[in-house]
Amino acid sequence: MKRFLSITADPIDEAGLVANRTLSSGMGAAVYFSGVVRGQEGADAIVALDYSCFVSMAEHQFHRLFDRLAERGSVESVRLVHRIGRVAVGESSLWIEVVSAHRAEAFGACQWVIDEMKQVVPIWKTPVTAAQASSPLNPNPTS
Amino acid sequence: MTIPVTFWSYFAELAGCSETVVTVSESSTVDELLADLYQAHPALSELRRSTLIAVGVEYQDGEYVLKPGDHVSLFPPVQGG
Repeated sequence: MKRFLSITADPIDEAGLVANRTLSSGMGAAVYFSGVVRGQEGADAIVALDYSCFVSMAEHQFHRLFDRLAERGSVESVRLVHRIGRVAVGESSLWIEVVSAHRAEAFGACQWVIDEMKQVVPIWKTPVTAAQASSPLNPNPTS
Repeated sequence: MTIPVTFWSYFAELAGCSETVVTVSESSTVDELLADLYQAHPALSELRRSTLIAVGVEYQDGEYVLKPGDHVSLFPPVQGG
Protein backbone atom coordinates (compact mmCIF):
# COMPACT_ATOMS: atom_id res chain seq x y z
CA MET A 1 0.00 0.00 0.00
CA LYS A 2 1.36 3.39 -0.97
CA ARG A 3 1.24 6.07 1.67
CA PHE A 4 1.91 9.77 1.96
CA LEU A 5 1.87 11.72 5.21
CA SER A 6 2.49 15.39 5.81
CA ILE A 7 2.12 17.32 9.06
CA THR A 8 2.60 20.88 7.99
CA ALA A 9 2.08 24.52 8.91
CA ASP A 10 1.44 25.32 5.26
CA PRO A 11 -2.06 25.58 3.78
CA ILE A 12 -3.29 22.33 2.29
CA ASP A 13 -3.18 22.43 -1.52
CA GLU A 14 -6.24 20.30 -2.15
CA ALA A 15 -6.29 20.96 -5.89
CA GLY A 16 -2.64 20.01 -6.17
CA LEU A 17 -3.17 16.83 -4.18
CA VAL A 18 -6.07 15.79 -6.38
CA ALA A 19 -4.12 16.62 -9.54
CA ASN A 20 -1.22 14.44 -8.37
CA ARG A 21 -3.37 11.40 -7.65
CA THR A 22 -2.11 8.13 -9.06
CA LEU A 23 -4.07 4.91 -9.21
CA SER A 24 -3.69 1.65 -11.05
CA SER A 25 -6.20 0.39 -13.60
CA GLY A 26 -7.87 -1.94 -11.11
CA MET A 27 -8.85 0.88 -8.79
CA GLY A 28 -12.38 2.22 -9.07
CA ALA A 29 -12.72 4.45 -6.02
CA ALA A 30 -10.86 7.52 -4.82
CA VAL A 31 -12.51 8.97 -1.72
CA TYR A 32 -11.18 12.10 -0.10
CA PHE A 33 -12.31 14.11 2.90
CA SER A 34 -11.43 17.67 3.80
CA GLY A 35 -12.00 18.75 7.38
CA VAL A 36 -12.68 22.49 7.52
CA VAL A 37 -12.44 24.75 10.57
CA ARG A 38 -15.89 25.95 11.59
CA GLY A 39 -16.62 29.47 12.83
CA GLN A 40 -17.97 28.24 16.13
CA GLU A 41 -16.50 26.15 18.90
CA GLY A 42 -19.35 25.21 21.17
CA ALA A 43 -21.30 28.41 21.76
CA ASP A 44 -18.36 30.70 21.00
CA ALA A 45 -17.57 32.41 17.71
CA ILE A 46 -13.97 31.83 16.69
CA VAL A 47 -11.71 32.97 13.88
CA ALA A 48 -9.24 30.09 13.90
CA LEU A 49 -7.95 27.01 15.66
CA ASP A 50 -4.38 26.71 16.87
CA TYR A 51 -3.18 23.15 16.34
CA SER A 52 -0.27 21.84 18.37
CA CYS A 53 1.37 18.49 17.80
CA PHE A 54 3.89 16.05 19.22
CA VAL A 55 5.19 15.58 15.70
CA SER A 56 7.47 12.54 16.01
CA MET A 57 4.83 10.59 17.91
CA ALA A 58 2.07 11.76 15.59
CA GLU A 59 4.02 10.53 12.57
CA HIS A 60 4.66 7.20 14.28
CA GLN A 61 1.03 6.75 15.25
CA PHE A 62 -0.22 7.70 11.79
CA HIS A 63 2.09 5.11 10.25
CA ARG A 64 0.85 2.48 12.70
CA LEU A 65 -2.68 3.24 11.51
CA PHE A 66 -1.52 2.97 7.90
CA ASP A 67 0.12 -0.38 8.73
CA ARG A 68 -3.19 -1.64 10.06
CA LEU A 69 -4.95 -0.31 6.97
CA ALA A 70 -2.46 -2.12 4.74
CA GLU A 71 -3.28 -5.39 6.49
CA ARG A 72 -6.79 -5.17 5.06
CA GLY A 73 -5.26 -5.67 1.62
CA SER A 74 -8.01 -3.72 -0.14
CA VAL A 75 -6.50 -0.23 -0.14
CA GLU A 76 -4.00 0.75 -2.82
CA SER A 77 -3.00 4.08 -1.33
CA VAL A 78 -3.64 6.52 1.47
CA ARG A 79 -2.56 10.14 1.55
CA LEU A 80 -3.05 12.33 4.59
CA VAL A 81 -2.15 15.95 5.34
CA HIS A 82 -2.75 17.54 8.75
CA ARG A 83 -2.21 21.23 9.43
CA ILE A 84 -0.53 22.49 12.57
CA GLY A 85 -0.24 26.03 13.80
CA ARG A 86 -3.04 28.52 13.22
CA VAL A 87 -5.76 27.43 10.80
CA ALA A 88 -8.35 30.07 9.96
CA VAL A 89 -12.07 29.45 9.77
CA GLY A 90 -12.91 28.09 6.33
CA GLU A 91 -9.50 26.52 5.81
CA SER A 92 -8.87 22.80 5.73
CA SER A 93 -7.08 21.36 8.75
CA LEU A 94 -7.18 17.75 7.55
CA TRP A 95 -7.16 16.18 4.12
CA ILE A 96 -7.22 12.44 3.57
CA GLU A 97 -7.66 10.33 0.47
CA VAL A 98 -8.04 6.58 0.15
CA VAL A 99 -7.87 4.71 -3.15
CA SER A 100 -9.28 1.22 -3.47
CA ALA A 101 -11.08 -0.98 -5.94
CA HIS A 102 -14.57 -0.28 -4.66
CA ARG A 103 -16.29 2.64 -2.94
CA ALA A 104 -17.40 0.79 0.16
CA GLU A 105 -13.80 -0.04 1.05
CA ALA A 106 -12.64 3.48 0.27
CA PHE A 107 -15.37 5.21 2.30
CA GLY A 108 -14.91 2.76 5.15
CA ALA A 109 -11.15 3.11 5.26
CA CYS A 110 -11.32 6.90 5.11
CA GLN A 111 -13.75 7.00 8.02
CA TRP A 112 -11.73 4.44 9.96
CA VAL A 113 -8.48 6.39 9.72
CA ILE A 114 -10.17 9.59 10.90
CA ASP A 115 -11.90 7.83 13.80
CA GLU A 116 -8.69 6.13 14.90
CA MET A 117 -6.65 9.31 14.47
CA LYS A 118 -8.93 11.07 16.92
CA GLN A 119 -8.06 8.42 19.51
CA VAL A 120 -4.30 8.04 19.21
CA VAL A 121 -2.57 10.78 17.22
CA PRO A 122 -1.24 13.47 19.58
CA ILE A 123 -2.63 16.63 18.06
CA TRP A 124 -4.56 19.26 20.03
CA LYS A 125 -6.51 22.33 19.07
CA THR A 126 -7.15 25.60 20.87
CA PRO A 127 -9.94 27.94 19.75
CA VAL A 128 -8.90 31.47 18.83
CA THR A 129 -11.41 34.32 19.14
CA ALA A 130 -11.15 37.56 17.20
CA ALA A 131 -9.89 39.36 20.31
CA GLN A 132 -7.24 36.72 20.93
CA ALA A 133 -6.13 36.77 17.29
CA SER A 134 -5.46 40.51 17.45
CA SER A 135 -3.65 40.36 20.78
CA PRO A 136 0.14 40.58 20.76
CA LEU A 137 0.06 38.15 23.70
CA ASN A 138 -1.38 35.43 21.51
CA PRO A 139 0.52 35.46 18.23
CA ASN A 140 0.18 32.87 15.54
CA PRO A 141 2.35 30.04 16.90
CA THR A 142 3.79 29.36 13.46
CA SER A 143 4.54 32.94 12.45
CA MET B 1 18.42 7.64 36.90
CA THR B 2 17.00 10.84 35.48
CA ILE B 3 13.99 10.75 33.21
CA PRO B 4 13.04 13.78 31.11
CA VAL B 5 9.32 14.51 31.05
CA THR B 6 7.55 16.67 28.47
CA PHE B 7 4.11 18.20 28.99
CA TRP B 8 2.06 18.73 25.85
CA SER B 9 -0.89 20.99 25.09
CA TYR B 10 -2.43 22.72 28.12
CA PHE B 11 -0.60 20.36 30.45
CA ALA B 12 2.40 22.66 29.98
CA GLU B 13 0.40 25.59 31.35
CA LEU B 14 -0.83 23.52 34.27
CA ALA B 15 2.70 22.37 35.05
CA GLY B 16 4.17 25.83 34.57
CA CYS B 17 6.77 24.44 32.19
CA SER B 18 6.93 22.30 29.09
CA GLU B 19 9.70 20.02 30.31
CA THR B 20 11.19 18.81 33.54
CA VAL B 21 13.45 16.05 34.77
CA VAL B 22 12.51 13.51 37.43
CA THR B 23 15.04 11.43 39.30
CA VAL B 24 13.83 7.91 40.04
CA SER B 25 15.48 4.72 41.24
CA GLU B 26 16.37 1.91 38.87
CA SER B 27 13.39 -0.21 37.73
CA SER B 28 10.89 2.42 38.74
CA THR B 29 7.54 2.36 37.00
CA VAL B 30 5.75 5.20 35.29
CA ASP B 31 3.31 5.24 38.22
CA GLU B 32 6.20 5.82 40.63
CA LEU B 33 7.51 8.64 38.48
CA LEU B 34 4.04 10.17 38.36
CA ALA B 35 3.71 10.04 42.12
CA ASP B 36 6.79 12.23 42.41
CA LEU B 37 5.69 14.42 39.57
CA TYR B 38 2.23 15.05 41.00
CA GLN B 39 3.73 16.25 44.25
CA ALA B 40 5.66 18.90 42.35
CA HIS B 41 2.79 19.69 39.96
CA PRO B 42 -0.50 19.13 41.86
CA ALA B 43 -2.61 20.76 39.13
CA LEU B 44 -1.76 17.82 36.88
CA SER B 45 -2.80 15.34 39.52
CA GLU B 46 -6.42 16.44 39.22
CA LEU B 47 -6.41 15.28 35.58
CA ARG B 48 -4.70 11.96 36.17
CA ARG B 49 -7.71 9.92 35.03
CA SER B 50 -7.70 11.47 31.57
CA THR B 51 -3.93 11.78 31.23
CA LEU B 52 -2.32 9.95 28.34
CA ILE B 53 1.21 8.66 28.84
CA ALA B 54 3.84 7.98 26.22
CA VAL B 55 7.37 6.72 26.54
CA GLY B 56 9.21 7.76 23.41
CA VAL B 57 6.55 7.61 20.71
CA GLU B 58 4.56 4.70 22.14
CA TYR B 59 1.64 4.79 24.56
CA GLN B 60 2.36 3.09 27.87
CA ASP B 61 0.48 2.54 31.10
CA GLY B 62 1.56 3.15 34.67
CA GLU B 63 3.10 -0.31 35.05
CA TYR B 64 5.74 0.30 32.40
CA VAL B 65 9.22 -0.12 33.90
CA LEU B 66 11.43 2.82 33.02
CA LYS B 67 14.86 2.37 31.52
CA PRO B 68 17.79 4.76 31.19
CA GLY B 69 17.26 6.88 28.11
CA ASP B 70 13.48 6.81 28.29
CA HIS B 71 11.60 10.06 27.68
CA VAL B 72 8.12 10.36 29.16
CA SER B 73 5.40 12.54 27.70
CA LEU B 74 2.13 13.47 29.39
CA PHE B 75 -0.79 14.98 27.59
CA PRO B 76 -4.57 15.36 27.56
CA PRO B 77 -6.92 13.45 25.23
CA VAL B 78 -6.04 14.11 21.61
CA GLN B 79 -8.15 16.28 19.29
CA GLY B 80 -6.86 15.90 15.74
CA GLY B 81 -8.91 16.63 12.67
